[in-house]
Amino acid sequence: MSDWGWVVFGYAVLYGTLAAYVASIAYRLRQARRRLGELQ
Amino acid sequence: MTRRRIIEIAAIAGLGGALITALVVPPERTQGDLARLLFVHVPSIWIAYLAFSVTLVTSALYLWKREMRWDRLAAASAEVGVFFTGATILIGMIWGKPTWGVWWTWDARLVLTAVLFFVYLGYLALRRSIIDPVARAHRSALFGVLAIIQIPIVHFSVVWWRTLHQQASILRPGPLQMDPPFRSAFLASVVAFTFVYVALVMRRMQLGRLEDEIEVRLASSHQEVAGAAVAPPRIEGAVDSV
Repeated sequence: MSDWGWVVFGYAVLYGTLAAYVASIAYRLRQARRRLGELQ
Repeated sequence: MTRRRIIEIAAIAGLGGALITALVVPPERTQGDLARLLFVHVPSIWIAYLAFSVTLVTSALYLWKREMRWDRLAAASAEVGVFFTGATILIGMIWGKPTWGVWWTWDARLVLTAVLFFVYLGYLALRRSIIDPVARAHRSALFGVLAIIQIPIVHFSVVWWRTLHQQASILRPGPLQMDPPFRSAFLASVVAFTFVYVALVMRRMQLGRLEDEIEVRLASSHQEVAGAAVAPPRIEGAVDSV
């Protein structure tokens, strides 16, 4: 793989992991709100 | 527009700006284009240091004040710190493969960073393993205070031991030896990651508040246990014993 290939791979991993983490927080927030709604 | 929304927009814009800046700077003299990976590798571990330092301070504040908001902030910051430590390791491995020829080597800096990652993962696991909120906050706070000792060990590992990992190039005594375009790329990533850190911690705090509220509601509601609705049979002519 060329140097640029490694760079693109690295940034894709970083930004992809960040997007996955943001999605996990959003999912947990939605689940918590739903659970709280059920308990009211 | 709320303050949280403004920080989230700043984080997204900052990430875009950091990406563009890192890709347009000229290649580095010895490492070529691969040096672009270091513009995110180094700021990632700085933000992890910041996150774990916030966990230290808020854990100490919890032990002093016994207020749950400090516990929530400590937990939120530790989780985001684990993310940034993991990102540092991943980017370092992707840089190491074409530069050193291996994804991983048992170098002091690499091993100690991995230990840092797993210790704070243990902090998060500890929080999951304790049901009582007060006991959880107390034990996690002690953990959060003690675990900080790793940061100077990780940072100075390249000075104290002979390592393959290069010496610190920015957080060290003496003038900064970095050309202006690279400084801009570093600064753009540091600013962007700081906004990302604040935005993630704020959202994680919001989640922590909701989870605490759920725990309080569950504890205060008298939910029937399985079988509680089953009444004993009434027998004709029988007399209650009391």
